Amino acid sequence: MTRALLFLLSVLTGLASFGAQAAPTSADRVGETNAPVVRVNVTNQPYDFFRPWSKKPPTSKRGLGILIRPDRILVTAQLVADATYLEFERAGSGEKTAAVVDVVDYEANLALLKPVQPDFLHDLQPIGLTLAKVGDSVTIWQLEPTGAILKTSALLTTVEITTYPSDNIALLVYRMTSSLQYRDGSFVLPAIKDGKLVGMLMRYDPRSQNLDVIPAPVIEHFLKAAEGATYKGFPRAGIQFSPMRDPQLRRHAGLGEDEKDQGVYITEVSEDGSGEKAGLEPGDVLLSVDGIPVDQDGNYPDPDFGKVSIAHLVTTRHQTGDVLKTGIMRDKQRQMLDVALLYRPPAMENVPPYVIDTPPDYYILGGLVLQELTGQYLREWGNEWQNQAPQRLVYYARYFDEVFGEGRGKLVLLSQVLPSSDTIGYEQLRYLLVTKINDREIHGLGDVAAAVKHPIDGFHKIEFSDDPKVIYLDAKEIEANAPTLQKNYGLPGLRSGLDVPAGR
Amino acid sequence: MTLSAALLLGAVFWPSPGRAAVPEGIHQSLVRIELTAQEPNYKVPWNPGSVAQASGSGFVVAGDQILTNAHVVSNARFLSVTREGDPKRYVAAVKFVAHDSDLAILQVADAEFFKNTVALELGDIPTIESTVSVYGYPIGGERPSVTRGVVSRIDFQNYSHSGMDAHLIIQIDAAINPGNSGGPVLQDGKLVGVAFQGYSGDVAQNTGYMIPVPVVQRFLKDVEDGRYDRYMDLAITTWPLQNPAQRRALGLKDDDRGIMVSSVSTAGPAHGILEEGDVLMAINGLPIASDGFVEIEGQRLQMTEVVERLFKGDVISFDLLRKNEPQKVKVTLDRAWPYLMQANRYEVEPRYVVFGGLVFQPLSRDFLEANPTEDLRVRYFYDFYIADELYKERPEVVVVSSILADPLNSYLDFAQFGIVDKVNGVKIQTLQQFYDEVHKKAEDYVIDLLGNARPIVLERQAVEGARERIKSRYNITREANLEDKR
Repeated sequence: MTRALLFLLSVLTGLASFGAQAAPTSADRVGETNAPVVRVNVTNQPYDFFRPWSKKPPTSKRGLGILIRPDRILVTAQLVADATYLEFERAGSGEKTAAVVDVVDYEANLALLKPVQPDFLHDLQPIGLTLAKVGDSVTIWQLEPTGAILKTSALLTTVEITTYPSDNIALLVYRMTSSLQYRDGSFVLPAIKDGKLVGMLMRYDPRSQNLDVIPAPVIEHFLKAAEGATYKGFPRAGIQFSPMRDPQLRRHAGLGEDEKDQGVYITEVSEDGSGEKAGLEPGDVLLSVDGIPVDQDGNYPDPDFGKVSIAHLVTTRHQTGDVLKTGIMRDKQRQMLDVALLYRPPAMENVPPYVIDTPPDYYILGGLVLQELTGQYLREWGNEWQNQAPQRLVYYARYFDEVFGEGRGKLVLLSQVLPSSDTIGYEQLRYLLVTKINDREIHGLGDVAAAVKHPIDGFHKIEFSDDPKVIYLDAKEIEANAPTLQKNYGLPGLRSGLDVPAGR
Repeated sequence: MTLSAALLLGAVFWPSPGRAAVPEGIHQSLVRIELTAQEPNYKVPWNPGSVAQASGSGFVVAGDQILTNAHVVSNARFLSVTREGDPKRYVAAVKFVAHDSDLAILQVADAEFFKNTVALELGDIPTIESTVSVYGYPIGGERPSVTRGVVSRIDFQNYSHSGMDAHLIIQIDAAINPGNSGGPVLQDGKLVGVAFQGYSGDVAQNTGYMIPVPVVQRFLKDVEDGRYDRYMDLAITTWPLQNPAQRRALGLKDDDRGIMVSSVSTAGPAHGILEEGDVLMAINGLPIASDGFVEIEGQRLQMTEVVERLFKGDVISFDLLRKNEPQKVKVTLDRAWPYLMQANRYEVEPRYVVFGGLVFQPLSRDFLEANPTEDLRVRYFYDFYIADELYKERPEVVVVSSILADPLNSYLDFAQFGIVDKVNGVKIQTLQQFYDEVHKKAEDYVIDLLGNARPIVLERQAVEGARERIKSRYNITREANLEDKR
């Protein structure tokens, strides 16, 4: 009880600090010209994971960013993903300046941008953050071509935890309904209440008129993490759980009257995650987190939003490094474990869920194009990639731990073959998992670079988990033919990171 | 694009103008077959399946027997045959059926039927562009029909009846329509094929397929001992050796010979004899080209055609290179069972177990057709059952196919399409084993599914208490069927 109260107090303190940073203005009094917003014009050019040496055609996007800190504009990360050029445009004057990304988190779908021209935003006051509750009416801001702000009201209908666009994290979302007009070709817009920011719009479905807003608590967490020397984003417990309403399962797990309405069944504990390091195991029943009881559906009573998933408690209420006293039931015995919350950058995952802003790594060996399996590669099959992409690769990505166990490292694929005299008969090979090159195990493209230095009797021996199992290339011949191959196919280099400058 | 078997389903009336006169002789060989079939129900496996009528064609062969397609007589509950000039409908029965090559032999108890019939003589593989005539009882009228065309292509192709087999096939441009199935294709009065499948008109025009004589002959020979043993299968995969570097690395000359063994199924006859990486140079003395073709009787055919023509127990010899050393090995032919999981099956009853209102069925092609799912794990276990040799660990993949809602299983929705891993700690490899485990006396039945899911816990008392209720509510006539056959 005391703990819950302290918790509540800390939240209130947090809110007070929002207030201190914001100009004490209400929505009605936000002047059209000094509203703390800029139009953000973005040119995006994603990498082509099917042709990892090149980029796709550039596209343009626009969104409405909001001044959240001095000289820092907040937008969604999706807006600036793979951006090659960013520009701020002032609402009233139409004055423009180039901008750059300061901090970006593709999981939380948030980005802080700063102008290249230092005083570009100096006359604007940063906006504060505020909470909203179900039933609240908020205002979505859009920009008219004249620079006037078009305000549309939206009703907050649901607060829940849902998967964010990166697909690998579930965070709090405000669900609202509103009939927004189409402006500027995007729905990256701020949602305002009482002159303060409630959240950033990240999804809008014109048909159902439902919109998803990244709420203030997620933004606050992001801003706090952005202050750190190295960005450590949203921590996670590294577990999956299943609800435990089934009385037969409850009895089986040894739950009794003492645990009435409590407990979820831990089904999965990720390799090297916070949960695994703390000693959590699949089959444990999670009873409480940070002293707060977890109900049978995995929810806890949040002081601001009522019942929400403990995912919110762990990822957003807490920061990386916090230690949570966690109550479990194992073999019908209650136990307490200390779970130290970790943040794992997505690139550290065995199959990174996304690769944005960095060029895909590749290695072309005599026309064999080798790449690491990433979620970004699978997404090249379009929105239906889960059904369209090669089944085996989707299966590997989804059930990596189950298929490979621990310590497998990255998966290297033969993604395609560039036909040449060296690859006669190999043209149709694709989507094959490379297990060994020259008898050396391959757990990443780095291993490829090392293994090709050791041909066997003048041949590179490449082994796959699937048919044809093994093929060979003549080491000397492919070296001799490399310049021709590179020229024929217009390749900037035969491998990433070395011949090609990496990153922007 | 799917090939459809040319079976005439249901009574279709299609007014037709005059048709070409049928030559005299063929009247005495041609047979019309009427079938009442019952399709098994893999969705509600305790229900008898729906009954449908269909008709097809057939012809008399030596020994007072009728040859037709397997798909004309599959899942038959009642068969009758008629012939030109005899108004009587004769009751027929299936004597032999080959679902892998879509052929069947019928017998008629009443010897009267074969009076004045003429058995068709078997011919050869007709040459490309030569003319053939197709006889049968296709859609469009009641009397026999003939269509004529040329031989367009001789190829190795899929047989849609089983969905898993590929054998020699001859494509002709004569129309083959529903009802033609099982009918003879003649050239110079001799049988050159059995009409059996085609594309629907909106996919491809003038493409009909017939089963050529070697496949028919093989069937007739196989059943000589009184039973059908199916096609034999080396159950290996091979890789053409056309890449110069690969050839040199494997110690081969630049002579376009040899293919590499990529995998050897542990369930096949070559297991323990052939090895991954072996280079096959000759099969039964016939040199194997680097693209996997051999020359048989003047024709370039895939190496598997040698196996296609042989029988259970026949021995095949391979000349091979293993780690650069020439060797000779012999493989005694047999079939490989795992392939049946991905094949359409006939004359078999769905196997299942109902326990606690959950229906458990082994994964199979028939199962998936009745219970389509996008569940990634189920799809993987089906698609890669053979390639990844999943059958080694689980000869049968037992799936929760449906949940018959009851208070007992209110919280088990997550289990739909789950694959059973263990029951009370015992790994489940067959449906029979699953049945045995859930019929052992235990307090709780803990069913673990593959992957990270919470277990299904069913308390014995609760299961017993709900049993009659579920049975009567869902009209379950039988709680389990563990046998293939009726």
